[in-house]
Amino acid sequence: MKKLFFIAISLFLISSSLIAQEVEEKTEPKKEKEGHYNINKFRQLHQELPTPNKEHTASGAPGYEYTQQQVDYKMDIILDDENQKLFGEETITYHNNSKDVLEYLWVQLDQNMRAPNSKTPDIEGEGPGVLYTPGNFTKSFMGKPFPGGFNIQHVKDINGNAIGYMINQTMMRIDLPKPLASGEKFIFNIKWWYNINNYMVDRGRSGYESFPDGNKLYVIAQFFPRLAVYNNVEGWQNMQFWGRSEFALEFGNYQVSITTPKDHILNATGVIQNPKEVFTKEQYKRYSEAKNSFDNPVFIVTPQEALEAEKGKETKTKTWKFYAENVRDFGFASSRKFIWDAMAVDINGKTVMAYSLYPKEGNPLWEEHSTRVVANTLKVYSEHTFDYPYPHATSINAQRQGMEYPMICWNYGRPGPDGKYTERTKSGMIGVITHEVGHNFFPMIVNSDERQWTWMDEGINSFVEILAEYKYDSELFPMSKYPKNITGYMAGDQSRIAPIMSQGDNVFNFGSNAYAKPAAGLFILRQTIMGPELFDHAFKTYAKRWKFKHPTPADFFRTMEDASAMDLDWFWRGWFYTTGYNDIGIKEVKKYHVTDKPTQQAKDLATRYGITIDQLPPALYLVSEDSDEFTEDLKNKKAEDYSILNNYIEENFTPEEKADLKAPKYFYELKFEKPGDLVMPIIVEFEYEDGTKERKQYPAQIWRLNDDEVTKVFHSSKAITKITVDPDEQTADVDLTNNSWPKNTETKFEQFKKNQIKG
Amino acid sequence: MKLKKLYFFLLLSIPLFAFTMHKYYVSLCEIEYVEDQKSIQIILGLFIDDLEFTLNKDAKKNLYLASTEEVQNIDAYYKEYLNNHFKVVVNNKAQNFNFIGKEYDGDIVRFYLEITDIKELKSLQITNTSLFRDFENQQNIIKIKVNKFNKTFYLDKNNPKGLLNF
Repeated sequence: MKKLFFIAISLFLISSSLIAQEVEEKTEPKKEKEGHYNINKFRQLHQELPTPNKEHTASGAPGYEYTQQQVDYKMDIILDDENQKLFGEETITYHNNSKDVLEYLWVQLDQNMRAPNSKTPDIEGEGPGVLYTPGNFTKSFMGKPFPGGFNIQHVKDINGNAIGYMINQTMMRIDLPKPLASGEKFIFNIKWWYNINNYMVDRGRSGYESFPDGNKLYVIAQFFPRLAVYNNVEGWQNMQFWGRSEFALEFGNYQVSITTPKDHILNATGVIQNPKEVFTKEQYKRYSEAKNSFDNPVFIVTPQEALEAEKGKETKTKTWKFYAENVRDFGFASSRKFIWDAMAVDINGKTVMAYSLYPKEGNPLWEEHSTRVVANTLKVYSEHTFDYPYPHATSINAQRQGMEYPMICWNYGRPGPDGKYTERTKSGMIGVITHEVGHNFFPMIVNSDERQWTWMDEGINSFVEILAEYKYDSELFPMSKYPKNITGYMAGDQSRIAPIMSQGDNVFNFGSNAYAKPAAGLFILRQTIMGPELFDHAFKTYAKRWKFKHPTPADFFRTMEDASAMDLDWFWRGWFYTTGYNDIGIKEVKKYHVTDKPTQQAKDLATRYGITIDQLPPALYLVSEDSDEFTEDLKNKKAEDYSILNNYIEENFTPEEKADLKAPKYFYELKFEKPGDLVMPIIVEFEYEDGTKERKQYPAQIWRLNDDEVTKVFHSSKAITKITVDPDEQTADVDLTNNSWPKNTETKFEQFKKNQIKG
Repeated sequence: MKLKKLYFFLLLSIPLFAFTMHKYYVSLCEIEYVEDQKSIQIILGLFIDDLEFTLNKDAKKNLYLASTEEVQNIDAYYKEYLNNHFKVVVNNKAQNFNFIGKEYDGDIVRFYLEITDIKELKSLQITNTSLFRDFENQQNIIKIKVNKFNKTFYLDKNNPKGLLNF
């Protein structure tokens, strides 16, 4: 009986929708509509994603034919503090692990971006500057550009014979004496020097800062000719370095010696091999003992020692020796002014050192926070990816910097001269340290191609940063500001927005495009679309699969789906491949009441089906309050007032089942509109007459057949007084004025004015 | 001392300095004409750190915006800045606005401004040069709503004015 009833009903429903279609077609004027390709927002990304292969698989993992080169470096570096020059000689061992024969190698000469003949300034189409410092004025107008760029002294093979090379801006081609077969290695030697830039004047991710007493603080990176990546996707990644889009680098082992003035304190990528030679006896003791200090930072170089050191000016030198295993780059920082503190961090039973080096100008902020922030970052990121595999992570205080290298990074944030600082300075400093230390995971270990895809390291890292900052100080870094922080950008001028899937040199509003928007997108995925459990597992799977490898965007997109059984193509398409924004609203709410009298619609249905009204199966009907058939008495009728329902229940349910049945009293037809281009879940909050609230989340797929509006019937035993779409602003809805019913007639301005008068 | 000042100035020429900035140089101004109140209601939102940079420079001291250290008479600084950089011409006549108040919301400060006694709106011209001096890429978006009519202007250094005729 029960079954039959349902079949009858569904038959009616199906046929009624068929008839409706027919009727529609008849009334429409005869006009041939043009055909079109699949424009459904839930279609798969087959056209956008590269075809999977044996190197990058369809599941998003590295394939069995995936290959990766290895490059090892042995370098001797001299820092000339007197003249701000850097000298180096490096022996490079290039391992061709690919299956290809290589005729030449490409080496990156990033310093050439600041050479006098650099084309970087030429591609900037800016108007006159607001003001010019004398330095900038001479640089811009008086033919005195900074004499930067590499001076290559020689390129030789292992026997000391010169090797041919050609320099194209920031890329140098090494012409191999004979082609390098798969599995072979090639060893060569480059000698070079360059003038170090003052990054406070000439900008840049590395260089030096000069203090009033003449002391310098060096943060040195991109300082040696480095091999470009040769991979399965791009071949040689030898796209020029224009100054913005960062680096693509191979993993390898580094053995580096750095000679500095004797009174300098230095740290770098890797582990110091000769601590007894470079530290005083006391410092060495503290350096060794710090490995047991898990609770609080302890000094290795004290503020007093740093103060003493910065007064002098040693002409004698000392040499720091480092070894770093399986890193993609090398950076170091050196100064007389450095205070150094340290704390041990327990990462799943393994001890990692968190270090900070800063001048006294960074205090009191730095001694309070830096090393603790490093430790927190390592812990939170390790939870979300894999255990931090390197022996230390170091935060260097450098004015106006925020830049990352393996195990070491430069971070801004200094109080005023009076030691005072605002909450913004503090949160900026904690934020930048979290961000740059976080880069150890993306892209230093999950080694994406930064030159091509900025978002893969900056965006993904900015996302995990949100979680780490929140863990460090939930009041200073509330999560509630995400993802609504991105709505201003997404609702902005379309002519100044590029999709996230754009190469970094060619986008407007770089920070929002490559950092904040992808981070906000992943935040929405985790918090709202997938949920933390599904998301975290998939995200971790991606990180583990591509740890110490070169992933592409497709590997990320595919892994997130592969590990979660969620089809997210619609999300990647909208959020990453387009510039669309989300705007969902509630357009109309209709109230319905129950009756056992067939409505006009039911009568029409019967007519169309060629039966009389009596032949309709026993049924209840919903009457809209705004229809002619509605009578006031229906308002007081409950569903259980109708015998047809009661009889049915009597016949079909056990007493226990009956006790669980609750007949709703109120029926609503909700019509949602979507002026925005993106598809998103609809989150609805219902507030009832008794003040209680309830939430319902409809998946984004609710938009799959109609991209403009959808209706839902919602029933409850209590009357709804208020409906709010996306009440917690979880979906980056750019316009909240259409998010409530009844419509909020008081404008934001009027609300503010009223409160202002009250206050 | 001298050197410190120099650093301060250097900042000006390098607004986009860090590689971590979650930033874009945009302000949003929403203007609505409410006919039955004869009122033009303006909400102007600016990034606090950018505005602080500019105001500090003008004031030659640190105003510590939106912090516990904020100077006492901060609204006077805001009013002066807005009067110089935000101009409204209604029906071909320059109009002063009332400074209703401000609110801090995360990284953003919002100013609530009102022009009253506008019986009929024939034309509306907005000039917003806020932050243009110090931020090369600053774009000031103006969204105007008059009854059912909506219009958006994207103002920048080269094009700081938007005019609407009804």
